[in-house]
Amino acid sequence: MRAMLSAGLLMSALIVSPAFAHHGWGGQEEAITTLNGTVVQGVSLAGPHATMKIKAGNDVWDLTLAPPFRTERAGLKEGLIPVGATVTVRGNRNSDHNRHEMKTIYVKHGSTEYHVYPDRE
Amino acid sequence: MNLAPFFTWLEHSPLGEFIRSLGVWSYGVINLVHILGIMLLFGSILILDLRMLGAWRQVPLAVLSRPTTTMAQIGFILAVCSGLPMLSVKTTDYIGNPFLLIKFPAIALALVNVWLVHRTIAWREHRERELLPAENRRLAQGAALSLTFWLTAITSGRMIGYW
Repeated sequence: MRAMLSAGLLMSALIVSPAFAHHGWGGQEEAITTLNGTVVQGVSLAGPHATMKIKAGNDVWDLTLAPPFRTERAGLKEGLIPVGATVTVRGNRNSDHNRHEMKTIYVKHGSTEYHVYPDRE
Repeated sequence: MNLAPFFTWLEHSPLGEFIRSLGVWSYGVINLVHILGIMLLFGSILILDLRMLGAWRQVPLAVLSRPTTTMAQIGFILAVCSGLPMLSVKTTDYIGNPFLLIKFPAIALALVNVWLVHRTIAWREHRERELLPAENRRLAQGAALSLTFWLTAITSGRMIGYW
């Protein structure tokens, strides 16, 4: 009983600790940022999250999408948006403005829209 | 030490290409194997180390040492065989990640410690005879170092994804 209690206390300490906020939304800005840019590296569905890179202005942005399965379910498959294509993306950028990284919730390519995180729009 | 060339090489290696081609669930499954490996490795080591530090004295060390080291070896192999593929998927993402630079040296130290403990007379003869107090203290030192190194490796490994 005492062991279970201590385990419970430890768990709650871990859960409320901000360092354990899941991969990053904690480190992102609340406000939504819109970027227009050209694709430098197309969608990749490998790894813990899908990713792509775009160039907006003079900066290359690392776009973090949803986990691979969820990104694919949103219709955003590898190879659909070619390198060099113009896209509009929306998401929550890293609160550290020196890092051009954004958790991306929406991607628009031509007239096609991909709602990666519809519940966050 | 500049790891960038090695990271770029690993990402573009046939292993990286292969793992990336496996589909949307592959990373999750490999990650699962990694967790199971770490679980076996650290679970077994924890029991062995706590015994060497003085817990469960009524259980002879000679009885515990074989199953725990065997399971720890299996766990380590699983962790390495899943860890390299995970790293190869997007290796260049980890350039500049400080936790990686804590994790791998910690694993190296842990392995050196295993090697040193296994070379002691205490370890080599613990199945044949009762150990002297000084020999038990030597094993306890090794166990304390082992827990420190492996916990450091696991903690920094977990933090890699949060950098």
